[in-house]
Amino acid sequence: MLEIENLKVHFPLPSGQTVRAVDGLTLKIAPGETMGLVGESGSGKSTVGKAALRLVDSTSGVIRIGDLDVTKARGRQMRKLRSRAQMVFQDPHSSLNPRMTIRRAVAEGLILNTSLRGKALRDKVAEMLEAMGLPAQFHDRFPHELSGGQKQRVCIARALALDPELLVLDEPTSALDVSVQAQILRVLRSLHEARPELTQLFISHNLAVVRFLCQSVAVMYLGRIVEMGPVDRVFDAPSHPYTKALLSAVPVPEATRRPDRIRLQGDIPSPTALPTGCAFHTRCPIAKKDVCNVQEPPRIELQDGRLVRCHFALGSAPE
Amino acid sequence: MDPLLDIQNLSLVFDTFDGTYHAIDDVSLSLKPGEALGLVGETGCGKSVLTRAAFGLVPSPPARITQGSVKLDGMELLGLSDRALRQVRGRQVAMIFQDPMTYLNPVFKVGTQLVDAIRAQHGGAIDRKAAREIALDMLEKVHLPNPLRQFESYPHELSGGMRQRILIAMALAARPKLLIADEPTTALDVTIQAQILDLMAELVDDMNLSMIMISHDLGVVAQVCSRVAVMYAGKIVEDAPIRDIFDSPLHPYTQGLLGALPHPFRPADDLESIPGNLPDLLDPPPGCRFAGRCTYRRPECTVPISLENVEPGHSVACVLRPGEAATTDSATKDLNHA
Ligand SMILES: Nc1ncnc2c1ncn2[C@@H]1O[C@H](COP(=O)(O)OP(=O)(O)OP(=O)(O)O)[C@@H](O)[C@H]1O
Ligand SMILES: Nc1ncnc2c1ncn2[C@@H]1O[C@H](COP(=O)(O)OP(=O)(O)OP(=O)(O)O)[C@@H](O)[C@H]1O
Ligand code: SF4
Ligand code: SF4
Ligand SMILES: [Mg+2]
Ligand SMILES: [Mg+2]
Repeated sequence: MLEIENLKVHFPLPSGQTVRAVDGLTLKIAPGETMGLVGESGSGKSTVGKAALRLVDSTSGVIRIGDLDVTKARGRQMRKLRSRAQMVFQDPHSSLNPRMTIRRAVAEGLILNTSLRGKALRDKVAEMLEAMGLPAQFHDRFPHELSGGQKQRVCIARALALDPELLVLDEPTSALDVSVQAQILRVLRSLHEARPELTQLFISHNLAVVRFLCQSVAVMYLGRIVEMGPVDRVFDAPSHPYTKALLSAVPVPEATRRPDRIRLQGDIPSPTALPTGCAFHTRCPIAKKDVCNVQEPPRIELQDGRLVRCHFALGSAPE
Repeated sequence: MDPLLDIQNLSLVFDTFDGTYHAIDDVSLSLKPGEALGLVGETGCGKSVLTRAAFGLVPSPPARITQGSVKLDGMELLGLSDRALRQVRGRQVAMIFQDPMTYLNPVFKVGTQLVDAIRAQHGGAIDRKAAREIALDMLEKVHLPNPLRQFESYPHELSGGMRQRILIAMALAARPKLLIADEPTTALDVTIQAQILDLMAELVDDMNLSMIMISHDLGVVAQVCSRVAVMYAGKIVEDAPIRDIFDSPLHPYTQGLLGALPHPFRPADDLESIPGNLPDLLDPPPGCRFAGRCTYRRPECTVPISLENVEPGHSVACVLRPGEAATTDSATKDLNHA
């Protein structure tokens, strides 16, 4: 459904440097699948999501949504893209026009992109909002009359109104409290049943949330995917040293402190000066000199179908 | 052991245009020397206001403390002069916050700021050279790589994790007895957060420090603290050892919070969402502030309910007693009213 091949998104800076936000990323999401995209701040997650919807231009590579070539789309194809793929952002407050009722907010996209008018339009809008747990008494309210969770549900209703095939959610619950986050997660999970054909790319730095919602997960580090596969496999038996460290650092809601923490030294390098070889070698606890800092690791497929970018993904770890 | 910090029946209101906002209501909380307490609760429940008000950091007006007492090492803090409070904050109590950048001056080198802060902590009684020694020593304690080089850098040249280490070093240089850490890792990435949490746990042990760590994340608190106080709408609703909070939470709100939390390694079939909204603190309900959302509500919940000790070290503000509240599964999961 969504296919990205060797995507690069580079941003030139006034200083002459280049931010290599996405630097050779390949991923594929099957129709109806929900994939989590995780990684630390600045690893390029949002940029991938925006590139998939052509909200930023890619430097090179191919992005396909179904049969639509996103990077080359023009005119009519662009309009097709706008209805096929939708995005929901982190802050529901700034995504909604404060002077528009939520009925209006959902109707707008339908008016622009479909021929629905009059009662048919009103019914469709009401149906979308009700499916998100917002009954009729809410429909004429303005955003400031709603809670954060309710606003985010309006944003999701608006995105789904055009029957997209792809929904990109960029940290949709990060600005919300735990109990409100739970509401939204339940809404999103119910979509798996209500719209089994909808493909979702769920961007988040919260691994617990990804575990709850996604079937597969891709772990990003400095503009690339270092590990990708079924969520259970990646979480229960991570293969890449970065995935291992990331998972071991997750604070778990349990009374006992985690004894197994892998302590990563140092900070994430700047995307304007990516390390040579494996971009993780400056922090990797098992990096091997003269290999990892020189050669780019290949993409290795494990038996369970997982893809891992590490020289030692198949064992034979450095002595 | 006598408590290091002892807050008793503290209430605070904000006088606003719309009326009196009852932000903190009859809160009691005490902390033993060397203890690390987590203060958790959702946005706006009063975590920051409570801890700041205790040390005279909430400006009045609009704030007004209407009752209570705050004792540090036996000394009453409410009513102290600004000057005296500043001394308490400089020497006995240190604070760090979510965004270290707000507390570092962008135009001065990190080293200069550290030296100045340390000299101020000593009331100017030490020279720059001695302050520099202390600063370098502290930077080593917080495991800042290459302290001598960082001394010469400007704040914007450092990452978020490094800035937070510098603020921790600055806060702890005075060898305070108590550290208040208000969401110290919320702005950091998971792997960097883990580094800072490890560091804080280590410092609490090594320096025999007491700490209140504020967070909205129970998982974060569990990495460092041995005890947790749960706040809801300006009140502490449950206060217990961390094990009890996870294994046998008593307050329906604590249970709801735990049920709403996804777990990275124990996939859940469903989550709970707590139905309803926060009460209006301009006109709070007379009894339990959670009553409007509680599935166990009874007639006696409408009279004021105070925090009571029900098991050793475990207090709860609820009419239910252990065993009376069913397990979390039975709470409502009604989206329409959420
Ligand atoms: N328009 C732009 N111009 C220059 N640099 C940019 C631009 N957009 C993003 N970047 C940089 O690209 C990198 C990747 O950014 P991106 O927002 O995709 O990261 P992210 O993984 O979504 O991070 P976060 O978790 O913080 O949201 C960052 O270093 C960011 O500063
Ligand atoms: N100066 C003020 N005037 C009026 N109300 C205030 C003022 N400062 C804080 N409040 C209110 O007091 C309540 C408690 O705020 P506080 O900052 O303590 O919340 P918190 O628990 O720290 O939340 P967060 O997790 O978002 O930091 C909030 O509802 C807030 O709006
Ligand atoms: S390729 Fe080398 S540096 Fe990169 S993750 Fe594997 S072992 Fe570590
Ligand atoms: S006091 Fe009553 S309303 Fe409040 S939490 Fe307990 S049972 Fe629920
Ligand atoms: Mg982002
Ligand atoms: Mg706060």
